[in-house]
This record gives sequence, structure tokens and C-alpha cells, in this order.
Amino acid sequence: MRVLQSAVVKKAAGSLATLVGVAIFVFFMLRAIPGDAISASLGTEAAGLTEVQRKSLEEYYGLDQSLASQFFSWVGNLFQGNLGFSVRAQQSVLDLTAAALPVTFQLAVFAIILALAIGVPVGMLAASRVGKPRDVIGQALSLIGLSVPAFLLATTLLTFLAVNLGFNPNGLGYKTFFEDPVVNLQQMLLPSLVLGFGISAPIIRTTRAAVLDVSGQDFVRTAKAKGVSTRRLQFKHILRNALIPIVTMTGLQFGYLLGGAVVVEQIFSLPGVGRQVLTGIQQKEYALVQSTVLVIAAAFVIVNLLTDLLYRAIDPRVRAE
Amino acid sequence: MTQLNRQSASPIKALALASAAAMVLVGCAAADEEQETVAPTASETQEPAAVGGNMVVGITVDPDTIFPWKATQFQAFRMLENVYDTLTAFDADLNVVPGLAESWEISADGTSITFDLRDGVTFADGSSFGSEDVKYSYEAIQDEENAAVARSTLGGVTSIETPDADTVVLNLATADVGLLANLTSVNLAIVSSDDTEESLSTATNGTGPFVLESRTAGQNVVLARNSSYWGNPTPLDTLEFRVLPDEAAIAAAMSAGNVQMAVFSDPITARTVSGGVTVNTTPQLSYHALMLNARNGSMTSTDVRLAISCAIDRQSVLDTALLGEGEVTGPITSPAFKSDPNARPCPERDLAKSAEYLAASGNAGGLEIDAIVAQDLYAGAVDIAQAVAAQLAEANITLNLEVLESGTYIDRWIAGDFETAIALNGGRPDPDGMYGRYFPSTGNLNQVSGYSSDSMDKLFADGKVEGDPAARKAIYDAVSKELEDNAVWVWLFSGYTYTATSDTITGFTPMTTGSWQYLRTTGLQ
Amino acid sequence: MQSVAPEKAKSPSVFARILRSWTGGTSLIVLAALLVLSILVNLGVVGFDPIAQTPADRLLAPNGTYWFGTDQFGRDIFSRVISGVGSSALISGVAVTIAALFGTLLGLVGGFYRGVIDVFGSGLTNVLFAFPPLLLALTLASVLDRNWFTVAVAIGIVYIPIFARVTRGPVLSLREIEFVKAAKSTGMASIGIMFKHVLPNIYSIAIIQIALSLSWAVLTEAALSFLGLGSPPPAPSLGSMIYEARTLVLIAPWTLWAPGAVIVVFVVCLNLLGDSLRDILDPRSKEVNS
Repeated sequence: MRVLQSAVVKKAAGSLATLVGVAIFVFFMLRAIPGDAISASLGTEAAGLTEVQRKSLEEYYGLDQSLASQFFSWVGNLFQGNLGFSVRAQQSVLDLTAAALPVTFQLAVFAIILALAIGVPVGMLAASRVGKPRDVIGQALSLIGLSVPAFLLATTLLTFLAVNLGFNPNGLGYKTFFEDPVVNLQQMLLPSLVLGFGISAPIIRTTRAAVLDVSGQDFVRTAKAKGVSTRRLQFKHILRNALIPIVTMTGLQFGYLLGGAVVVEQIFSLPGVGRQVLTGIQQKEYALVQSTVLVIAAAFVIVNLLTDLLYRAIDPRVRAE
Repeated sequence: MTQLNRQSASPIKALALASAAAMVLVGCAAADEEQETVAPTASETQEPAAVGGNMVVGITVDPDTIFPWKATQFQAFRMLENVYDTLTAFDADLNVVPGLAESWEISADGTSITFDLRDGVTFADGSSFGSEDVKYSYEAIQDEENAAVARSTLGGVTSIETPDADTVVLNLATADVGLLANLTSVNLAIVSSDDTEESLSTATNGTGPFVLESRTAGQNVVLARNSSYWGNPTPLDTLEFRVLPDEAAIAAAMSAGNVQMAVFSDPITARTVSGGVTVNTTPQLSYHALMLNARNGSMTSTDVRLAISCAIDRQSVLDTALLGEGEVTGPITSPAFKSDPNARPCPERDLAKSAEYLAASGNAGGLEIDAIVAQDLYAGAVDIAQAVAAQLAEANITLNLEVLESGTYIDRWIAGDFETAIALNGGRPDPDGMYGRYFPSTGNLNQVSGYSSDSMDKLFADGKVEGDPAARKAIYDAVSKELEDNAVWVWLFSGYTYTATSDTITGFTPMTTGSWQYLRTTGLQ
Repeated sequence: MQSVAPEKAKSPSVFARILRSWTGGTSLIVLAALLVLSILVNLGVVGFDPIAQTPADRLLAPNGTYWFGTDQFGRDIFSRVISGVGSSALISGVAVTIAALFGTLLGLVGGFYRGVIDVFGSGLTNVLFAFPPLLLALTLASVLDRNWFTVAVAIGIVYIPIFARVTRGPVLSLREIEFVKAAKSTGMASIGIMFKHVLPNIYSIAIIQIALSLSWAVLTEAALSFLGLGSPPPAPSLGSMIYEARTLVLIAPWTLWAPGAVIVVFVVCLNLLGDSLRDILDPRSKEVNS
């Protein structure tokens, strides 16, 4: 247990350092992009600004301070729970993110559930009869899931369903689950299907590989020799041990989804954090992008930590220590 | 051509459409004329709309501000023009009509305008509207510290008097015939003297037909009927501007009946909306041009510029890049002052003449020039640039395209740091508004336009004070002539705006300025 | 994954073995065909000029002249799609090369020397990893003037960490192996040991990762162009073609299925090739690097 604790603490410390790195990296990278909030909002109209007006706008957008002071006041505010302010939305970044993160989170969870629901059974089926049709089909499915871009699938589904069947819940304006569960679930349906399908691919592969790996091991053969039924064998012995890489893979995918769902959010008009960052980059709203990226990275890091904990919890070799 | 940015409110396009609402025709501003007390209404032939209901308009990005004096974005304008009022307004034919001012009198020398304000108007918070609000608003706009976009519009206003609660007098340094039209822009909205920019950045308090009910970042802005509005109440209970990130999503939503109205940037998307939808094609006041910087490199030679101008078949570029959806234009697109597109040295493409000019400039062997192009500010820029380059290539002129990201393009455009630029610039109903900043040597965009001359300065000065409409048109015809004869820029064409409205709504009239003010007379059937 | 690296596989025999496996062989042939076609199209030998517009032939269905039909500007979709494949291949190729070079170097040097260099290297890897990849790519792509090379660099940077991580592990274990220690005792310089003894043993891992990364790079580049952040127009790109087809598909379905089908085929082949390579070079590998 102590080994586990110190390992976790070490990892946590490392993660914190990583987040600091992310903060610095995104801060400077954003300012390297040409243009600023003034040119983003005024466009060529900015040509008509007088000196006084320009200075006033720089103050308004918080661009007038030195880089160092901008960085440290941002970080200082972070510690106080102040993620910054979005001038365009006239809301704190915290409020905006608090509204956006659950959307992406819900999408990610649904996508993962769908991916697991498809991926694990297919992977197990494929592994049970290696080389036979079910294996070939399973692998083909996985290949397609890996190869079809999410935006292609999303585009096709949305356009055809909306125009041919009049089914377009995503055009109704986003409703949270608590506001309107029926509409919310309808709005999440297509995007989670699209993302879930894509993620099911690596899960099929990982499951198949892990099951094959475990099946070939001694303790399984022993169980078989002892006459344990196939069904029991599959679930109790094989799956539990194959879970480790599956869990690792799932955690990884979940983390990626938090930031990687941006294209699907865009197509299905879901106001998630991916979209928030994308819009922020276009509008050169530094504070918004910095803090949101940091939040996404932190979420990713936390998911990794949790996955790691889970991994250690279920890995019998670790538990035996 | 980048999709996201193209779909999001490009500032140029925004301004193009929005700022057109800022100026007006001279026609009705003659001295000593009384005006009718009539608020802008939809044409009489429309069916009356049912009272009640909610309407949804699709937009691709949220309005980026709710404070009228700082708004430049298309979506912000469209929302705010229904929440705030200005002293004067436009009707559907771009005539200046009363807004918050019922009538006005212009002094004989044009340097003083006395406005008689409307009675019984209140702001949404219940406070009464009066002359002190007008004075407060205009003086705040003039204050550079406030970085109001329309500061230069009031640049000639030397003082504002408020003899009583219903009267405002604007004293001008010189006559400014276009001023009454300029005052219609929501950038010159009248706010309550009790309000500040801070208070108006989170909530609205206007005298218009709608009030802001709610605003959810990234999702929608909802307006509700203002029950204490001074004019005809709007049929709708609420009006929602719903954010759907791109036009394909909006088209899908319209097909499914979720959205009743939207503006599309290209005709194909507009026409893919299925179901009972009407698409209105309205010519824009904004124009595409190849801006030539006459102070830079080979552009200093008039012969070179003329060679370029003669080498381009504008209709062909229009056909190739915008699928023919638009009209070839001259410099001035303001309807009452429209330039004749054929009034230029080469009305048709003339490669022989182009070669002559090129030889006269000493570049008989060919010429290489650079053009900056914005890849993600507005749709079609790169296609237009390519088409122009293809045309020039046949005239022995190589146009090197520097396709730039919007931030970089804007920075260079503002600094005038280019030899030539493919641009989409805003047009306005009043020609002084359109070019008063670009071509007079004192204009604050003169470093961008790259051209000035004594004759141009005189023309603009005269145009500003000339009260007689016919004489004024003649002045601006002269401006147009000088611009074309010297090939200051190569004016290409104006595009169209495609407004799609569902057949379930009635009472909406699109305007060439791009304004959606007739949302106040729109309702469900 | 603690595998003793398999013996150095000589390129020719790997190649031959790929061809022998039917998935690997087919995909290799299809990929080669696509690349050759795209070169031919760009040279003007086959098809039409991908950026030449013929407004008169707008939105024509696939026919004898225009095999995949034309788009809204009258451009030949077949030529554009093939050219787009070439462009995707170029960008992903450069991106993955950058990632492989710098990532492997990072993993190699970090794992071999340990200490400060390793801490710095691992730190950098972790920071880049913590970034959502697509967001990182699009932010990086916005920094520089956008052209195909800067997009490739942006994507390359995003994949550096995976190469670093994948090579560092084996390097750590290789350090301990006898022959390295033996080489050290003969007084060989560290750098020499690193390059002569350690590097050759991680080649195969790097190659597998290269093959896997190519398909992600293609998908990332397509996603970037879909978002409008890929290489600028008028260069044809599969992602942006799919974007434009979103509304066109209702009146001209070929504008969507042509680039869609081609990108799927392209990526499927890359994946199959990658799998094939992995099976040959490291048959014991059970993990999927994602």
C-alpha cells in the first residue's frame, strides 16, 4: 500500500509540473499567433483607430501590460479560482467553462459507453475464434472505425437525416439533460455514435489482443484443465485479466475526447470546451484559451491518474504485493 | 476559404453590411424641410402577421458585444438595431426618415441642425428619454477614451445644445450633408444618460422594439417584445438568434423547421434548404476590389495601374469566382450615386491597350507584382485572387499571391504594407461615408488607400457641403472619374446577400444595407 | 513492453515479406498506385489541372470526361481528389519524419544519458502529451503563415511525444545489457555507443510507430483542413473538399462520396500496411499504440 501511495504521489507531482509546462507553453504559443483581440474584433476597421482609442481598447482587452505581468496575474488569478474574463461574452471564463465542460464530458462518457458496448464484445468474439469469419469481421470493423474520419461520418449522418427525415434535434438549440432530458439525449445520440464508433476501433484491437494474450497463459490453461465452463472462463478469468490494457486504453481515449471532440461539437452545434477553445483562438481571446486548455489538460491528467489507480487496483500482480 | 472563419462573422463583411446602415442619401435632408412622423414599417402589401409566438433566426457566431458603440460585427449589429434607436432611421428604400427625432431643421448655411425629439418615449428601464440623453450619448461617442467606432462621424460636431427636453441642436464646423444618414447607424445609438458602458455591457437598456431577455454564450441571444415601445409593437413574443456554427448546420435546421430565417454567404447553400423557404437575393453595398498602393514600388506609375485595370475582365472573374452571383461595379456603390461601371479607360478588357500602357511605363517585357490575400476573412477571396491572376498572366503581368492568415492580413492592410491587395470593403448609402476616410489626404485611412491629390481633396470638401442633390451627384461622378482614370484601384464587383425566410413567417423586408430592422414587423403566420 | 529487439531486419526481406502477406501486399500496391497517380496528375499527364476552373461544366455527374464529376467551380473532382491524396501524403510524410527524427532523438538521448536531459525530455514529452492533439495542431498551425510545410511541422510537433515515449523505454533497458556495458569498458565514447549499438536496436520500434502515425497524420491533416486550418486554398485537400460538399451533397452527391471514399481507402491501406509491418518486425507486440 505504501508503495502504491508513494507511486501515486510521485505521479501527482509530475502531473502538476506538466500542467505548469502546459500553462507556459500555451501562454507563449497564443501570443505568437499574428493579430490580437483588437484586430480580431474590428478587422480592417481597426485602421481608423486613433492612438488614444487604440490605447483604450488595449486596456479594455488587457493587452497593455507586459508579458510577464500578464502571465503572473493570470497564474495568480488561477490560484484564486479566477480563470479570467471573456470580454466578448462578458462572462468569467470559469462560468463559461463550467457550462461547456459538462457538455463535452457527457459526450465523452456516452461515446465511451457506446465504444465499450461495441468494442469489448466484438473483440472477445474475434479472439475466441482466431482466423475464422467472426475474427475477420471484427478486425474489419475495427479497421473501418480507425479509417473513417469522424467529420465525414458526422457530416453524412447530419445532412441526410436532417434533410431526408427532418430529424435534426441539434438545430433546436442545446438543452442540458436537466432542462430537457428527451431533447438532450436526442442531441447526444448522433455525436456519441460517431465518436463511439471511432473509439471502438482501438478498443476492439486492444480487447482482442489482451484476450489472446491472457488466453495463452498458464493459469487459464489450468482452469480449462480443471473443467471450468467456457462462459465462466471467459468472464471470470480472461476478461478480468484482460481488463488492464482495456482500461488503460479507455482512459487514454477519454482524455483525448475531452479536447478531440471539437470537430463533432462544431458539426452538431454542441457548446463544449473544444468549440470554446477553437472560437477563442479565432477571436484571439487569450485568457479564455489559456484557461480552457489548462482545464482540459488538467482533466486529462486526472483521468490518467485515475486510470493508473484503477490499473493498479485490478492488476493481480500488483495486488499480490 | 477556411470554413470556420469564413462562417464566423468576418469583420470586413460585418462592417460592409453593417456600416452601410450608417449613412444615407442626401435627398431628404434639404434645408428647412419638415419630416413626417412615421416609423419605418413594412410595405403595405404584406399580410398582417399573427400576434404572438417565437421566431428563430440562425447565426453562425454569437454577437460579440451588446454595447452598441463598440459593435462592428454583423451579428451584433443585427441584434442591436432592434434594441436601440437612433435619431434618424432608414426606410426600405434607404430614405432618411424620423427615428427618435420626429423632425429637424437645418440652418441656411448648414452648420446647425435642430432636432425636435419624439415625446413620451421611455427606455426599457422606464426612465424617460430626452435631449440630455442625446447629448450624453453623442459626447461620449466623441470622447476618444471610449473608443467608440463612430467617433469620426461626429468629428465635425463642435457642440451640442439642449435648449429643452425635447430639442437638441448640433453645431457643426462645416455643413455635412451626409450627417443625417450617418446618424442612423446603431453605432450612434442613443442610450440613457444614467447608463455607462459597463452597465450596458451586460444588459441592454434601449428604446427599441425589443429588449434583451437572455444571452447564453455559444448558444443564443433571446430578445423579447418591449411592451413600452413608442412605435407599433412587434408581433413576436420573443426573437431568438440561435448560434449554429456553420451554414450547413443552419440549412439543415431550416429544412427541419427549427429555424425560420438566416442569411447565407453563398447561393448554393441557400438553395439547398428544402421545404417552404423563400430566398431573397439582395445586392450588397460592399465591393470586391484589387486595391493598388500607388505609393509602393511599381504601383507609383499610373501607366502600370492602367495596364492592370485594362487587363482584367471583371465579369469573367465574377463568373469564375462567385459563379456569376453579383454585379460589376465602379467605385461608388451607393444607390443614388452609383458609378457607371463602364465609365473607365477600358470598359471591356483590352489587352492591346494594356500592353501599350505597360510599354509606356517601361515594362514592355512583363512585370511581376505581389498581392496580399486573406484566406479566412470572407468567402471567395482566394478564388477571386486566382481568377485575377489568371487574367493578368495573359497580359504579361505576374501576380504573386501571398495568401495570409486573417491576423497577418489585417495588420498589413492597416499599415498599407502591400503592393496590391485583394479586398472586400464596405459600402455605404452616402458616398462621403464610403470614401471620406480613404481618399481625402486627411482621411484616417489614407495610408491604406495609397492615393491622394489636390483635386480629390477639393471634390470631397465640396461634396460634404453641397446641398443640391444634382450638383452633389455631379461632384461624386467626378470623384469616380478621377479614381477610374488614374486606376487608383481596380474595382471588380459587388456580391449578393442571400436571405432565406421560411414561408411560416411574414412581414420581413431585407435591405441593401444588410439591416434586419424589419424583424420588428415580422411575425408568424 | 520489455522486448528484446529482434535482430536487425534487412529492408529487402521486410519488403518482400510485406508483399507476401495479402493485406500488406494489396495495401502497398494501392498506396503506390495512388502516389504514382497523384504525381502524374500534378505533372499534368493524367486528368485535368486540379485548380483550373471551367464554370461551364459546373456540378456535372461522373461521366466519361470527368470520372468523379465536377464541383461547383467546374473543377475535375478526380484530379482534385488524387492531387489531394498526394498533398496529404506529402504533409503526413513530412510530419511523421519530423516527429520520428526529433522524437526518437529525444527518447534515445533521454533514455541513454538519463539525468537532467532525461528530466527535460520527459517533461517536454508530458507537456505535449497533455495537450489535446487536435487543439495543439490547430494552435500551432495558426502561429505561422499557413502553407503545407508549416501544417506538416505543426502535426509533426504533436507526434513527437509518442516517438519519444516509445523509444525511451527500450533504450533504458538496452543500457543495461551486457554488450553495452562491455563496449563502455573498452573505452568507446558514449555517443558512439548510443549510435552504433543502441539505435540500431530500436529501429524496428520506430518504424512501426512511423507506419502507425502516418494514418493518424493523414486523418489529423484532413480534420485540420475540414476546420479550415490546413494548407491554404486553392491547393486541393480531402478535408476541405468534404467540408464544401456538406451542402453540395444534396444536389451533387459525388462531391462528398468521391473524397470520402478516397480518404477511407487511403487510410485503410496505411493502417493495413502498418499492421503488416508490425506483425513482421515485432510479432510479439500485443499492445496497440494509440
